[in-house]
Amino acid sequence: MFKLNLKIAFRNLLKHKTASLINISGLAIGLAASLLLLLYVQYQWSYDKQFGNSENTYHLMVNFYGTDKSITGTTPQVSNVLPLVLKEESPEIENISRVLWASRRLVANGQNSFKIEGRYADPDLLRIFKFDYLSGNPEKAFDDPNSILLTETIAKRLFGSVDVLNKTVRFENQANLKVTAVIRDLPPNFTYGFECLTSWKLYENLNGWPAESNWGNYSYFTLLTLKNGTDPNAFNQKIKNTIARNTVTKTIEAAPFVYPLEKYHLYGHFSNGIADGGQIEQVRIFIILALGILAIACINFMNLSTARSQKRAKEVGIRKTIGASRTSLIMQFLLESFILTIVSVVLAIVLVELFLPAFNGLLNTKLQISYDHPGNWLAVTGLILFTGLIAGSYPAFFLSSFNPVQALKKTIAFKSNFSLSFRQMLVIIQFGFAIVLIVATLILYQQLQYLKNRPLGYDSNALIEMPHEGNLYPKFDLFKDRLLNSRAVTAVTQSSGSIAFQNSNTSGLEWQGMREGDKKISFDLIQTTYDFLKTNNIRLIAGRDFSKGRASDSSALMLSETAVEQMGLREPLGQHVLFNGKQRPVVGIFADVLWDEPTRTLHPMAIVFNAENSDVITMRLNTTRNIRESIDQITKITKELNPDFPVEIKFVDSLVAEKFEHEQMLSIISNLFAGLSIFVSCLGLFGLSAFSAEQRTKEIGIRKVLGATITGIIALLSVSFVKTVMIAMVLAMPIGYLIMDNWLMQFDYRISIGPAVFILTGVSSILIALFTVSWQAYRAAKSNPVDALKYE
Amino acid sequence: MIELKNIEKYYANKGVKSYILRHVTTSIKQGEFVSIMGPSGAGKSTLLNILGMLEEPTYGQYEFMGEDVVSLNERKRIELYRNHIGFVFQAYHLIDEMTVAENIEAPLLYKKVPGSERKSRVADILDRFNMVAKSDLFPNQLSGGQQQLVGIARALVAQPSIILADEPTGNLQSTQALQIMDLFKKLNEEEGITIVQVTHSEVNAGYGSRILHLLDGVIKEDVAVQQTV
Repeated sequence: MFKLNLKIAFRNLLKHKTASLINISGLAIGLAASLLLLLYVQYQWSYDKQFGNSENTYHLMVNFYGTDKSITGTTPQVSNVLPLVLKEESPEIENISRVLWASRRLVANGQNSFKIEGRYADPDLLRIFKFDYLSGNPEKAFDDPNSILLTETIAKRLFGSVDVLNKTVRFENQANLKVTAVIRDLPPNFTYGFECLTSWKLYENLNGWPAESNWGNYSYFTLLTLKNGTDPNAFNQKIKNTIARNTVTKTIEAAPFVYPLEKYHLYGHFSNGIADGGQIEQVRIFIILALGILAIACINFMNLSTARSQKRAKEVGIRKTIGASRTSLIMQFLLESFILTIVSVVLAIVLVELFLPAFNGLLNTKLQISYDHPGNWLAVTGLILFTGLIAGSYPAFFLSSFNPVQALKKTIAFKSNFSLSFRQMLVIIQFGFAIVLIVATLILYQQLQYLKNRPLGYDSNALIEMPHEGNLYPKFDLFKDRLLNSRAVTAVTQSSGSIAFQNSNTSGLEWQGMREGDKKISFDLIQTTYDFLKTNNIRLIAGRDFSKGRASDSSALMLSETAVEQMGLREPLGQHVLFNGKQRPVVGIFADVLWDEPTRTLHPMAIVFNAENSDVITMRLNTTRNIRESIDQITKITKELNPDFPVEIKFVDSLVAEKFEHEQMLSIISNLFAGLSIFVSCLGLFGLSAFSAEQRTKEIGIRKVLGATITGIIALLSVSFVKTVMIAMVLAMPIGYLIMDNWLMQFDYRISIGPAVFILTGVSSILIALFTVSWQAYRAAKSNPVDALKYE
Repeated sequence: MIELKNIEKYYANKGVKSYILRHVTTSIKQGEFVSIMGPSGAGKSTLLNILGMLEEPTYGQYEFMGEDVVSLNERKRIELYRNHIGFVFQAYHLIDEMTVAENIEAPLLYKKVPGSERKSRVADILDRFNMVAKSDLFPNQLSGGQQQLVGIARALVAQPSIILADEPTGNLQSTQALQIMDLFKKLNEEEGITIVQVTHSEVNAGYGSRILHLLDGVIKEDVAVQQTV
């Protein structure tokens, strides 16, 4: 029986080529899309779980309390001394380690030098995470502070081999470190990834100040494991007062707590002290997208099979009269849907392999299908069962319920209200989903353009920056002169941070006539010397830039328009502002600079003269000259003056573009999936219209004999589909509006949703639907009525 | 073998009952060859479908081989039906996607006959019907008469005790029709298979042993046929 059914299922597939093609390609696309998304979801789920014992690993965090004892903020960064005190006081702690944020560190083996992502951490980190060691002993790796742990790739890049224990690496041009361990490269879905790891002691030795206990500097990440059987809630209760007990000043009330590392990535966003999401929201969106696309493909399958039911009714009738039970028929139809699903899954895996590189590029991940993982096979089997069952269930149960006598007499009420409305309902669901996605795509696109068009307040074009480091500190003036003389650049400036993104702020500025509470105003802070406005092309509204001629300017500052407004200054020029214990005259007012995320409101900004704090050198390229030559020239000059460091030139406009990465990615994803869902829905519609045309062959024949025109018949056949799509539109558009309105709420700077989006969506989806169904209608209308009527 | 008592069949439509069969009471014995005749809409096919358990009477009593069909549950009824009834249709009703051999084999599959026996029975019947050469053809590659032969072969392969035929020759040319009727007669006389056929043709009815005349759902006449052939 099974063998025969299998044979017949294949014969059916081959016989109805169009339907099979629509079913298989639709399902394959749907499955491929959802597999891609689910791979990403799995990638997100396995974040930070790779190194064993993750369920027992915690992240130290701090809640800040306001005056009314409510939690006003939560940070994953703590002071350098809190972990030490906790370790001393709490026997529950097994291992605890501070971890510094990752930054680009210069490593060198002789002339071979480059920058890699490096972190400093306490030796306990190697006990918390069980990395995969190629050589070295995790217990002893950091016994000597002048040690370094490398990843495989970096070891090979530095030494051409992984067998590099005890070799020497020049670190940051400051210290010679011994390689004490080499580990396998870390996966990208690991929050605390690095390419080299050095000991916390070294961090203190090289910089000095981090060694001093400072309860007020919340800068350091801390990870810990608790001993078996420790209740984290009880532990949190116990450590709650640690900060209060140890600090004298009670200006900030803060309570530390531990948070499971496994949840840190996905549920890392806190408001009022309560974890309320994070990456999980994106994961949820992806799951919904995956299931939605799969549902659309399954609906195609269901619809096409039921539409074909008239043809198959006869078969059901015959099978029942020769003794088939309903169960055996259900099994037969399910078998057919499973065969289709299996073929589609194979095709889908091929599609996934084809598109994975592009998808990885888009999401900045390294996803891959691991074929040797039994769990994955189990999941794929589950997916086949699920899809096959969903896709096949309706035809199986619907078709097998036919009464044989009626089926054979062709008197089954195919147009009974139920079956038609059910099919229409499914089409409405499909198109509803697709329309929501189209609305989302259009609004995302509008918002993205709106953000991109937001004035920056400076000219990012032909603006480049490089790190201010090494010899460039003592030789800055020489460097600047040589650059300007080379005519490769038209202006050069140094500053505490990049102009491209917010990297520093301060509060507590004081000025004459300030109101109560003005002390809390947070100012974006840039510290610089001369030519900052000129280099960045920031518009001066009043006053002047810092000028070399005036000695008093070395303690001056400039304010942005918004700053002046928020400070309530009537005549800002010449006023004095207290910053860092110094009264500073305001010499200039400049137009606002968009320094924070482009989605946020403008902050007040202060540009303060300070030659001591500089991390970045910014230059404006001479646009009248060839850019490549200019860059080469700049590189040459830099290398001459600062030979120990590689030259790292970045274009500011590409740094600015990175700010849109998330929205850009969402926009591309929604574009992609809106397109896919429309395509798969239309595949289904195409199939349905074909069957509807086929079913109505006789009617069309009669109408043509009676004198109907081709256009009239096309209209007749298309109108019901267009109606269905219109119902979907009416239902889906408000949903799309609500979702996107809610989404836009997270942005301070956002578009308002206008009717244009909906008009565009409506017109385009109706046109697409019309285009899809009218081809079949046209074919049916063109056919010779004699052929149609002959068969009856 | 078959006892019908007061069989009624009607469809209620908006409170109006339209009767198909009224007070049909009759019995058919093992080995009979009964023809049901009557004008269109007399209820012939409905009666045959009720006999074949494809439709249920609205009212009345139906005993098949001593079992009360109306009160049987679905599974038992299918069981009874699989083992004893073979159906032959006017439009042949072969499954288009199956070859001749597969069509014939299908009822055995549902009856869960073991594979080797299935093969031998199908081979046997193909041989008997001289269709061995055609066993791998699909129905649309056969003539109408050949298709009906396959239909009959399919009805016979499960070794039923009764064959119900709904105008088996309705779509055939007269020579082919005569062949089919000869076959029925042979099956009836040589193998003792009970045959009930619905027919319009006096000639076909002449092959049987008994004629039920149906008019507006009522048995008007029940006559024995004078064997003339």
